Amino acid sequence: MAEAERLRVVIVGGGTAGWMTATALARLLPTRCSVRLVESDAIGVVGVGEATLPHIRAFNERLGIAEADFMARTRATFKLGIEFRDWGRIGDSYVHPFGTFGSGTGAIDFHHYWSRLLAEGADLPHLDALSYACALARAGKFDHPAPAGQGGLSGTFGYAYQFDALLFAPYLRSLAEAMGAQRTEGIVVDVERDGETGSIRAITLKGGERIEGDLFVDCSGFRSLLLGEALEEPFEDWSRWLPTDRAVAMPCATRTAVTPYTSAIAMPAGWRWRIPLQHRTGNGYVYASAFTSDDTAQAALEAAVEGEAIAAPRLLRFRAGRRRRSWVGNCVAVGLASGFLEPLESTSIYLVQQAITALIELFPDREPAAADRDEFNRVIDLEYDRIRDFLILHYHATTRSDSPFWDYVRTMAIPDSLAEKLELWRRRGRVVKYREGVFLDASWIAVYLGQGIVPAGWDPRADAADGAALRDGVEQLRAAIAADVAGRPDHRGFIDRYCPMREAA
Amino acid sequence: MRDGAMRSVLVAGGGLTGWCAAAALKRRAPFLDVAIVAGPAAPAGLADRIAAALPSLIGFHADLGIGEADALGRTGARQRLGTAFIGWGGEPHVHAYGRYGQPIGPTPFHVQWIRAARADAVAPFDRFSPEAVMGRRGRFAPVGAFGPTVCGLTIDPAEQCRMLRAFALHIGVRERPGAVEAVAIDARGHVAGVTVAGETLAADLYVDATGPDARLRTAIDAAWEDWSAWLPCDRVLLADRPRAAPPLLTPVTALDAGWQWTSGTQHGLAYAAAHRDEGAARDMLRRTAGAEPGSAIAIRPGIRRAPWQGNCVAIGDAATQIEPLEWCNLHLALSAIDRLVTMLPDRDMAPIEAADFNRQTLAEAERVRDFVAMHYRTARGQTGFWRQAVEQEPPASLAHSLTQWFERGRLPFYEEETFTRDGWAAILLGRGHLPRRVDPLAEALPLDQLRAMLARMADGIAAPPPPSRPAAGFAMQPGRVSA
Repeated sequence: MAEAERLRVVIVGGGTAGWMTATALARLLPTRCSVRLVESDAIGVVGVGEATLPHIRAFNERLGIAEADFMARTRATFKLGIEFRDWGRIGDSYVHPFGTFGSGTGAIDFHHYWSRLLAEGADLPHLDALSYACALARAGKFDHPAPAGQGGLSGTFGYAYQFDALLFAPYLRSLAEAMGAQRTEGIVVDVERDGETGSIRAITLKGGERIEGDLFVDCSGFRSLLLGEALEEPFEDWSRWLPTDRAVAMPCATRTAVTPYTSAIAMPAGWRWRIPLQHRTGNGYVYASAFTSDDTAQAALEAAVEGEAIAAPRLLRFRAGRRRRSWVGNCVAVGLASGFLEPLESTSIYLVQQAITALIELFPDREPAAADRDEFNRVIDLEYDRIRDFLILHYHATTRSDSPFWDYVRTMAIPDSLAEKLELWRRRGRVVKYREGVFLDASWIAVYLGQGIVPAGWDPRADAADGAALRDGVEQLRAAIAADVAGRPDHRGFIDRYCPMREAA
Repeated sequence: MRDGAMRSVLVAGGGLTGWCAAAALKRRAPFLDVAIVAGPAAPAGLADRIAAALPSLIGFHADLGIGEADALGRTGARQRLGTAFIGWGGEPHVHAYGRYGQPIGPTPFHVQWIRAARADAVAPFDRFSPEAVMGRRGRFAPVGAFGPTVCGLTIDPAEQCRMLRAFALHIGVRERPGAVEAVAIDARGHVAGVTVAGETLAADLYVDATGPDARLRTAIDAAWEDWSAWLPCDRVLLADRPRAAPPLLTPVTALDAGWQWTSGTQHGLAYAAAHRDEGAARDMLRRTAGAEPGSAIAIRPGIRRAPWQGNCVAIGDAATQIEPLEWCNLHLALSAIDRLVTMLPDRDMAPIEAADFNRQTLAEAERVRDFVAMHYRTARGQTGFWRQAVEQEPPASLAHSLTQWFERGRLPFYEEETFTRDGWAAILLGRGHLPRRVDPLAEALPLDQLRAMLARMADGIAAPPPPSRPAAGFAMQPGRVSA
């Protein structure tokens, strides 16, 4: 069989999405495509995705990226989950871990027993103490997980990274360029389309240079230069469920611990992130402009950060939702150009990664076929829809009534798909199961319980166990986790030995 | 126990499905009072009667705590490794339940096989399945080249039913003599009671395992979705030839207007009444089986979209009717039983919980339907029956799968899938349906290296297995067919 001719791929936009795409294509499909990336130093990079999900590890591995080197260069720390503070009500705190609750043994899920014990008024520890990942995070420690199926409790978790997104893109760029990707400095001023098919034929840069391509990847961020502006693919607006539309970001010096987790702290009109890196802490306040002013938000952020500011506050504007289709004609949008979901669960880079994976699996041989596009859009829609529901849950599952913002999200109408999930949980702790999608059972359970939604009922089979034996089992599990965690290294110390940042990164 | 918790279940139906449901409910939720109105088994209940069973039956036994040695020793069941398709297009090919090949690089094995097949001759796809190779050789080994052997069972349905009945009664299921005479429905559309031998029996939950008649469930409503366009066989004949050893691979041979199989003792023939008259079908089965077939079983291919309505759950043929190709009848029943146990409702029978059960059950059944329909859509027969089957526009979900397959060898993932991607590929590749192109990632490996790897893999699989132990003593891997 003759290998197909190389497709000319033109990526519009650098940043995390652009360079992740360029690196992956150059590395994995060198015989199928040439990669050209157009970006301009004059256009800023959003770089909000500083915290990631465990899937990033598989992506890095495929690209041949060594963990310690990558972490040193991007000044990264480890992430075991996200701490949510003040969400269900002011004063609450829970961790959504990259791991499970309970010991993972037994025919009935742990949370059914937990619901029963709560109903019986048992004296129970904080749920965090019954998840190895949460306990490790709370203790400020880190160690690599034991291989699956070995090591008992210490194999019941995964991890991700918190890194400097502004260093990640240049790091990838050096890899991609070494693998043959070509970078062109320039600003796109015109998009030329085929009169018959509507496909994109070429882009023109300021100064007149014309770049032809077979496949265009739109990584232009919120602007959605190709998919949104040139092809006019409609935007499906989700802001009635996810009303935050602005963020003010400001890094500061680290004054407290370099935690092995990200924090998401609820605020009067949204929430605030805290992402500790090796050299600084990232902060930002995500808010709804309908409920607070830019000045008030900025003042609130400045008052809340723990150390002196390292840079001036920067304002970002966005809107929750996605383009109706991510792949139209010969144009595939990756990252913010295809849609935006706020960074509450660190899904931005994950969505970029899923789009790249699907693009590679469905890579066209010449003129993209409907079959390629349909399957790509089916896969990506599923990801967006499920993450959307999971994010809405965080806002809606609250008792907070201390501000108009929280009154709105607490009482707003939610998508039917989420309403069903919530009712099934509320009644008897049933979690709607699926095998594909990013947040599986354990994540939903963590947020439900963490935000105080305790099921009224449970699996009747959980009634069979003796109450005293159950309580003993909980205590034994807590003690076993605590004992194992106590022997693990401190997070900061682990980093200093394993992947200390280089001064001139 | 909480006030609203369910206390009692009445199972209706005296076939294998009914006894499986009663045994599983009592064993896994011992606090329930489980009664069964066995009555005479419905002769048209395929889930109760087909001898070839998928690996899910072994998982079902394990959930009940029935050891494999016990199950095989008591009922005469024997391992089966898959199905051999003869006359469906291409050379005879095997759909085995274990893995096909080992992944080479980031792409699934079947993609690399396709690449090799497009370049030059390569050993048939099923030569890369340890189970298929074992099956062809006629020797079972508990462990193959890729680990524990994955298998289903050939059962004697009557013996299997006897064992489960004894087991159920032993653990406390109460058997009520008599048959269902009447079903009372209350104003809410719930079953209020079932009249048996002149007495009215009531329970919190009713499980309808009465076969295609669905005596309880149809008393509520008779809504039925028809699948006959995609599943052309609507008659099944069964004939028993006593004491014949079951083959490791169940042969399924395409006929002019249907197909025929043998499971050792059981011989069967499925056909379309519109294309073949019953007399001719009976003659044919009588000749091959050497025994007189029973009366023809009529199938009405389709599904009740809400098998669970109110306080009544239909299971097995009462919920879904599908021809036995690929042996899904009992599998769907066991899967519904497992789902019911893990989703046991409260006495208030919340509609939203029933809806969730129905959603999963429907998704699973539709995917099984797609898999069976795929056999027809991709067949190579020349008669009117086959031409009609091949030309029939498939359901949208199957159309999407086939488009992805023929374009690039991709098998899209659906929730509640029963058969693995290897299973789909085994049928499609066995019939010679190669995609137009392959995943570009596969091309990272030079072709001559790929050839060498495939040859080594096939040799490793073909190496003679270690000496095997007696069949009844194998410790088998419990599991389902799912990936």
